[in-house]
Amino acid sequence: MRSQIYAWNSQAGTAWTNAQTGTATSIFIGGFGNNITKPAETTATQFVVIEDVAVSPTAFLFSGPVVNTIYRGVANGAENGVYGNRGYIQIRINTTDYFLDPDNVGNDGIPGAASPYPRSTDFQPCFNLYPDVYVLPGQVFDALVTTYQNGAFLANPAVAASLANNGLGAFMKYTLYDGPDALIANKLLEMGISINPGNVDWYKRTLIQSQSAPAPMPTA
Amino acid sequence: MRSQVYEWSNLATATQASTLRRTVDAVPQLVPINREYDIFIGGIGNNITKPAETTATQFIVIEDIACSAYYGGAVQVRINTTDYFQNPDVTDQSGVPGLASPYPRGSSDQPVVDATTDYTQLLKSFDLYPDVYVLPGQVFQILYSCTTALVGAAATNTIVVSAFVKYTLYDGPDALIANKLLELGVTINPNNVDWYKRTLIEQQQRSRVAAVATNGGSA
Repeated sequence: MRSQIYAWNSQAGTAWTNAQTGTATSIFIGGFGNNITKPAETTATQFVVIEDVAVSPTAFLFSGPVVNTIYRGVANGAENGVYGNRGYIQIRINTTDYFLDPDNVGNDGIPGAASPYPRSTDFQPCFNLYPDVYVLPGQVFDALVTTYQNGAFLANPAVAASLANNGLGAFMKYTLYDGPDALIANKLLEMGISINPGNVDWYKRTLIQSQSAPAPMPTA
Repeated sequence: MRSQVYEWSNLATATQASTLRRTVDAVPQLVPINREYDIFIGGIGNNITKPAETTATQFIVIEDIACSAYYGGAVQVRINTTDYFQNPDVTDQSGVPGLASPYPRGSSDQPVVDATTDYTQLLKSFDLYPDVYVLPGQVFQILYSCTTALVGAAATNTIVVSAFVKYTLYDGPDALIANKLLELGVTINPNNVDWYKRTLIEQQQRSRVAAVATNGGSA
């Protein structure tokens, strides 16, 4: 098992522009920012547990200040009092969105205001992805970023990775269980036990202990 | 069981006070003072299609609520018609102030851009524990209110405010287990639901072993 992360920068590769605002875009294969070669999926011998997702932060102030006014390192793309990209990140397993509104309609996901990336004293998280999200063997998973505020993405691409200039970014932390660990993860899932490295190790210990236990005495 | 969030803000279009979906470069809407607005269907900002409620096979545990700390902002939880937060004399109150549970965390208590006056990064002094349970078939509301008009230094400046709720949705068998845990007086959280599943599985295994033993070793 291995702790893994995926960090996405909207300005790497094909840079994100304001034309994407309002459209859900995959951080893996969306065609903007740094991407990977194929959709993120687990093989038959892999099990993924997503433990955290985060996206660039947002601040709410008041309407009026001119465009590109900076507040705590993020700019307003419009005069509406919203600073930052007003970004959201949704997890999708196969074709199912994980985060829903109370009316059971899929929503935009976790707001960057609740789970900011990067975190700072100015932008702190109030969301913890618990219980974790399980990606079973053979499933495709994705993280979709949606923004609702135009940003100054192209004004200074050289510093776009920083909070200044509204460099949109996203982050995913997950643990990859492969081989025997994936089998154990499946077993734990059947048993209704949370899948985490501690419980996988516990299950291994119980297997070893049961193997090393003395054989029962033969009966007459 | 799934971790869920809902974020509301008083942002909609120039021609509509509320929208079902978020819109690009939305504009802030004034929120009348000293009135409680349901962040789901209150008619201001982003709303959903119907009141928030649980079906017969759902169980919701509200784990956190927060709102902007500006201008006396506060959030209240209402289950069916009953407000969760009350004064000691059992009279109504506006709920948890944004100053105690700010959203976003680290935001200021004043909507100012000036770096010389923006020196406050609020931390939470409130933790929603024990959690609030929404039983199957119940309607729940998260009510936002403010005590001062959301107008900035200039009359044309409208303050942008937001509210946040984090909850866990238990559905199907998990909702049945949540009800069982409630009967047993056990706190409903993902760990305890998993614990109950394990005890069920162990019970089944024990009864299977006992059945085999009763049948003289044959299954």
